[in-house]
Amino acid sequence: MGYDLIVIGGGPGGYLAAERAGHAGLKTLLIEKRFVGGVCLNEGCIPSKALLYSAKIFDYARFSEKYGVTCEGVKFDHSVAMARKNKVVKTLVSGVKGALKSSKVTVVEGEAMIQGRMEDGFHVVVDREVVVGTRLLIATGSMPIVPPIKGVPEGVKKGFVLTNREILDLDHVPAQLVVVGGGVIGLEMASYFNSVGSKVVIIEMLDHIAGATDKEIGTILMKNYQKKGVEFHLQSKVVEIKAKSVVYEKDGKKLEVPADKVLLSIGRRPVTQGFGLETIGVAVENGAIKSDQHGRTNVPGVYAAGDVNGVYMLAHTAYREAEVCVNHMLGKKDLMRYDAIPSVIYTNPEVAGVGETEETAKAKGIAFDCATLTMKYSGRYVAENEDGDGICKILVDKKRRNVIGIHMIGSYASEMILSAGMMVELELKVDDVKEFVFPHPTVCEVVREGIFQL
Amino acid sequence: MATPVIMPRQGQSVESCIITKWYKKKGDPVAVGDLLFNYETDKAAFEEEAKVAGVLLEIFFPEGDDVPCLTNVCVIGAAGEDVSAFNPNATAQAPAQETLAASVEAAPQEEKPPEVAETQVATIKEGDFKISPRAKNLAAKQGVDSRKATPTGPNGRIIEQDIQKLIDSGALVTSAAREEYLTSDLTVEGTGVGGRVRTADLANAVPAAQATGQTQEVEEVKLSNIRKVIAKAMHNSLSTMAQLTLNTSFDATDVLSYREKVKAGMEKTGVGNITLNDMILFAVAKTLLMHRDLNAHFFDDKMLLFKNVNLGIAVDTPRGLMVPTLFGANLKSLNQLSSDAKALIDSCQKGTVSPDTLKGGTFTVTNLGALGIESFTPVINPPQTGILGVDTIEVKVKEVNGAYVYYKAMGLSLTFDHRAIDGAPAAKFLKDLVTNLENFSTLLAQ
Repeated sequence: MGYDLIVIGGGPGGYLAAERAGHAGLKTLLIEKRFVGGVCLNEGCIPSKALLYSAKIFDYARFSEKYGVTCEGVKFDHSVAMARKNKVVKTLVSGVKGALKSSKVTVVEGEAMIQGRMEDGFHVVVDREVVVGTRLLIATGSMPIVPPIKGVPEGVKKGFVLTNREILDLDHVPAQLVVVGGGVIGLEMASYFNSVGSKVVIIEMLDHIAGATDKEIGTILMKNYQKKGVEFHLQSKVVEIKAKSVVYEKDGKKLEVPADKVLLSIGRRPVTQGFGLETIGVAVENGAIKSDQHGRTNVPGVYAAGDVNGVYMLAHTAYREAEVCVNHMLGKKDLMRYDAIPSVIYTNPEVAGVGETEETAKAKGIAFDCATLTMKYSGRYVAENEDGDGICKILVDKKRRNVIGIHMIGSYASEMILSAGMMVELELKVDDVKEFVFPHPTVCEVVREGIFQL
Repeated sequence: MATPVIMPRQGQSVESCIITKWYKKKGDPVAVGDLLFNYETDKAAFEEEAKVAGVLLEIFFPEGDDVPCLTNVCVIGAAGEDVSAFNPNATAQAPAQETLAASVEAAPQEEKPPEVAETQVATIKEGDFKISPRAKNLAAKQGVDSRKATPTGPNGRIIEQDIQKLIDSGALVTSAAREEYLTSDLTVEGTGVGGRVRTADLANAVPAAQATGQTQEVEEVKLSNIRKVIAKAMHNSLSTMAQLTLNTSFDATDVLSYREKVKAGMEKTGVGNITLNDMILFAVAKTLLMHRDLNAHFFDDKMLLFKNVNLGIAVDTPRGLMVPTLFGANLKSLNQLSSDAKALIDSCQKGTVSPDTLKGGTFTVTNLGALGIESFTPVINPPQTGILGVDTIEVKVKEVNGAYVYYKAMGLSLTFDHRAIDGAPAAKFLKDLVTNLENFSTLLAQ
């Protein structure tokens, strides 16, 4: 059975590549070992958004006196939220399957094992059958890093230590949740469980939360959650997980915090083993598949897209990488750029950013001007946010005067960031942005305000 | 009455000149003889004086613009007069178009049927299309393929605005990268949205020293026209010919003593100050007559062998290398050759040399002897087949009747095009030249 393209991995990178390739007329096979849609759709982006929205409504109901709304007897039913989440996932997974079908992609749910490169193409075994493809796209994604900390393997076995996968299927709300790793996943899960009743403690090794997010914005986010009762321990290193507690080290002292459940969210690593990648000699560097700006690996005909290349590990990056790969296969001119990849944290308030932060710009030696504004410049923000402390930061290249980064914390940040990304991607100058008409009243008017301050 | 000032035509081969400096501003009063502007061709600079008095009503081209010869550059007249009729940039103007259209139609009618004339006007043939110098410049500068432009100028000519339109419609440069890209000579492939050139592409195109992060103070100097011409000519010469250089020297005793004699008797004889270089030019011109393969132009399928010697003389000027031609050098007496050469060199130094004098050479002499160069490899000025480099004088030793004798030797470096002439005949030329120079007094008598 010969295919023009065999895609290994049905997450955002894989399914989108298959969809585009199939649509363009390539005979395409998609192999997924777990669920089509991948981590993003089944155990990541989407289910967490479903749960977070339930939590948000719960928060609105409980804390709306200042807006003139008083609700009594407000209750949260975690099992209903979970059931709804599952329904959302199911709807979207079947949507993806439908799109694949209409693009004439053959989907096989099973484990792929690359056998090697033969004269007629790459041989891959799936369900004990050999399939042959002239091209391969590796989109095997990533998996949570499980550190070799004392007590972790036992904790995982017992279901005491969870990753993103298990916590999204938790059938109850733990009284005390310890989150190890204050990055995007940890913060979003902390946000949900904090809202629905857990006492949440976040232990983070760095001196700030939210990873590469602008530090000032990360601090504002942390303060917001401290107000809501989340406990943060920064510059703290987990050294042991006991049966009912987590031991961490801070300033040379060993401290212990009780836990009913522990979420392990210290990062993810590319999946490059267990499917025969080594049989075709694809280069792997620092645990990730090495690929060029067209998604090509060192082996002709073999491409890589998504988390497996270890570059950005975001679903939307994978989408774009997948398209670049397929365009290259089709002979269309295209290449991958990473300068304007938006990042979003779906906490409440939301955090979103694109392009250089003050920290990255300084590290790269870029001379820049920065305008930092309170979100209160936006009429709508004031109208909708009692005591809101959101900010927006705009970074402009000092010499060329183009927008190189926009970062914000506040309502709708996730939806606004696309337009900011366009400014960065298109290298628009301050004077160019001044010519845009911003709808009024909207929160995004803060960007316009900032532009006029630069 | 308003009077236009046109860009003069300096020599038949000159199509356009660049305005390098304006002495007057719009609105300034102008008297006859006032300097209006400086302009230059590829090779020489000139000044334009006002021929009428009045007010400088309008300037059509700023400094730096390349203006086609005979185009209106500015208008002098009485304050308040309308000058729009003189504006060469207003191509949509009715009278100009009418005239041009009329001339286009009139010309072909005499020779060819009208249908042919129509297609000639409407079609742009690749490699054979009409484009204004301004448009050509803009296109070259911005890396735009001018063939893609839709011509809107008279007679199917692509004008500046057509190129501008092409650039604008493409918009293939991001806003931030635009200025740097357009003012640089970088040719980079855009990697931004829709193939736009973005700032990262500019960064990738910087020289290696900057790319590796080494800090180095650099001054960017735009190439002068003459530098561009030299660069192109030199590269063309070395990349298309089979050049090699032969080095020899001659006993300069005779030429040196002759020079002393002339110098001593200058007042009595009325003969001018004859330099060593003049003597070499004289000897070269005479010797070349016997070696016509070196007094020639080489083309792929033929050679032109010249009866007379038009000697190119390489001159170092403040503006760069110039090579004026001493026409009919073999026909001149030594004294005449000397004074003509002096005048030519002077005009190059002053930048007043006529462009027509800068071409037509059949062989070239270049002298680095005054700078102490002992031998070098001069680069031939195509389509010539040879160039003689004159080196410095060194003291050498030779054996005469068993005794060592010191003498002053002058070096000669002949580069020739092996496509046109083989090594032995080229060496024979040098040998004859050496003989003539070592017996200069005899040569004069011939």
